[in-house]
Amino acid sequence: MPVLPPGLTQESFDKALDEFRAAIGAQWVFTSEADRASYLDPFDIGDQHDHASAAALAPADVEDCRKILAIANRYKVPLWPVSMGKNFAYGTAAPEMRGSVILDLKRMNRILEIDEQMGTAIVEPGVSFFDFKAELDRRGSRLWMSGPAHSWGSVIGNALEHGVGYTPYGQHAEQICGMEVLLADGTLVRTGLGALEGTREWQAYRWPFGPALDGMFTQSNFAIVTKMGLWLMPEPEGMAGVSIRVPRKDDFRALVDTLRPLRMTDTINAPYTIANGWRQITGGRVRSQVWDGPGAIPQARMEELLAERGDGWWSVIFNLFDSPAGLDLRLDKIRRAFDQGLPGATIDVRRWQQGEPQEPWMRQEVSLAPLGAVDWGGSPGGHSDLGPIVAPLGGRAEQVYEIIERRFLEYGKDPWVGIFGISSRALVFVADMYFTRTDAEETARCRALFRQLCADMQAIGVGLYRTHLRFMDDAAAMHAWGDHALPRLNDRIKAALDPNGILAPGKQGIGSWNSREGTDR
Amino acid sequence: MRRSVLGLMGLAVILAIAMPAAVRSSERAERSPQELFAARCAYCHEAGGWGTRVLARRMPEGEAQLRQRTSLPPALTTLVVRRGIGAMPPFTPTELSDEELQALAQWLAEEARPRR
Repeated sequence: MPVLPPGLTQESFDKALDEFRAAIGAQWVFTSEADRASYLDPFDIGDQHDHASAAALAPADVEDCRKILAIANRYKVPLWPVSMGKNFAYGTAAPEMRGSVILDLKRMNRILEIDEQMGTAIVEPGVSFFDFKAELDRRGSRLWMSGPAHSWGSVIGNALEHGVGYTPYGQHAEQICGMEVLLADGTLVRTGLGALEGTREWQAYRWPFGPALDGMFTQSNFAIVTKMGLWLMPEPEGMAGVSIRVPRKDDFRALVDTLRPLRMTDTINAPYTIANGWRQITGGRVRSQVWDGPGAIPQARMEELLAERGDGWWSVIFNLFDSPAGLDLRLDKIRRAFDQGLPGATIDVRRWQQGEPQEPWMRQEVSLAPLGAVDWGGSPGGHSDLGPIVAPLGGRAEQVYEIIERRFLEYGKDPWVGIFGISSRALVFVADMYFTRTDAEETARCRALFRQLCADMQAIGVGLYRTHLRFMDDAAAMHAWGDHALPRLNDRIKAALDPNGILAPGKQGIGSWNSREGTDR
Repeated sequence: MRRSVLGLMGLAVILAIAMPAAVRSSERAERSPQELFAARCAYCHEAGGWGTRVLARRMPEGEAQLRQRTSLPPALTTLVVRRGIGAMPPFTPTELSDEELQALAQWLAEEARPRR
């Protein structure tokens, strides 16, 4: 069934498509049902056709993008830029607004620079983590990539979406240093020191003369990011892989309070991951292998499963990066902190030093491991993740965890929770709701659970770090302080930069004032 | 002479820096089905890959690995690649063109052989 951009007739859309074909070549304009199907979100938490695209366009370069923008402005065609389009659990390549046209940037896939001396790189949107790692390896680079859990995605896309990795450079948006962005009117801008002709410092410093704009183009729809500068970590002299087992469920508060000062002082110098019981017992299995009853897997069964594995209710894993002597000091400090704060915990350590072969625990290899968990609740599976940002204070973290667990159990879902110590002063909870995609009752229940938790989180002043397309407006609406002053400011910026609302309307709830008729929110 | 060698070296450095991370889409038609399989499929669908491990849950013994199938009709491969199936996400035409997908599906069908 044809899908049209909101407000356009078939006739006017056909004319726009003809102009797109003339501009970038007919072979790069995709309109067939099969081609459009490949841009649907396979893991949507509902009918994936609610977010169907009307077509897809694949520009070769910035000039192609400019031509596309001019046509889109003329016909009021909404464009949804994607880099690799692998934003799994958050929408994959699908647009927020049904009937948008995908702007697929995969052909813009050059690694423009890797500067070994400065530890920086400049990449285009179509560079995946697979590509980037291969290029670093090919060059014999002494710089390391910080990759997320799955490597299929785009280096740029992941940083723009505030993705996370497992090295000291693991908060990927913080490694951004300088961008080239294309505004809706076709103006090409280089941010920061890239605005100086002949600069050597574009990737050197994030705080230029005047406002630092890079952050404004992350998780937004104010421009198309066509190039990004990034900082890369020099290969460390050594690493230690630390795993900590914490036996009792009510140790959570003490665990968070023990970890906070260690992370804040950079003793733990990379993000850590806390997993609750439900998250730990997955281990490559599917749910029916461990529990067949209704509702969430009961606490008693969970304790049996954890005991079989020799695990505690909580596990913590992280890697440390330093010289061998530096690692000794860090580990000593960590052991002393746990002896004092959480003496029941068990700490295991593995070590690596430069020159030795790398091992899987170091997480330096590319991976698609998360795809192995998709079918946890039944095939064809999917999941959607609630990601509250929480201060690493024991009481606060416990408050949020208890709400999440209680609501998941109430809605009959396994409270599958990971908690990421992504920075010195913030935890991001990732509460995954796994579902069978073909089960309409279950997906509806998960959507209701997600919205219930948005209300719960807003009630205690907690916001989200990222959401699936379906919940963009819900998450944006949580920012209600000052009569929604911040979302309203975003809309004002959007209106100024993109008056026709052609760039990703609805992303992060921004530009939702554009025509919504015929769309299912 | 020395200058031209240096010039060539300079050119090589520039080419290396400007070289795309992946082969440019417009050049992809030159890739063989074997190369496409290695680039796009093998990571999940060879021994030990996540695709193989997930398929082992529902395929007969020995059939989880794609290249060990006894039968793999091209129409099934093209459908699954464009639409995804189970835990496998779809591939867009910018990752595999229709022509590449057809050639890959045909090659996989030929690789599949009934066991004796």
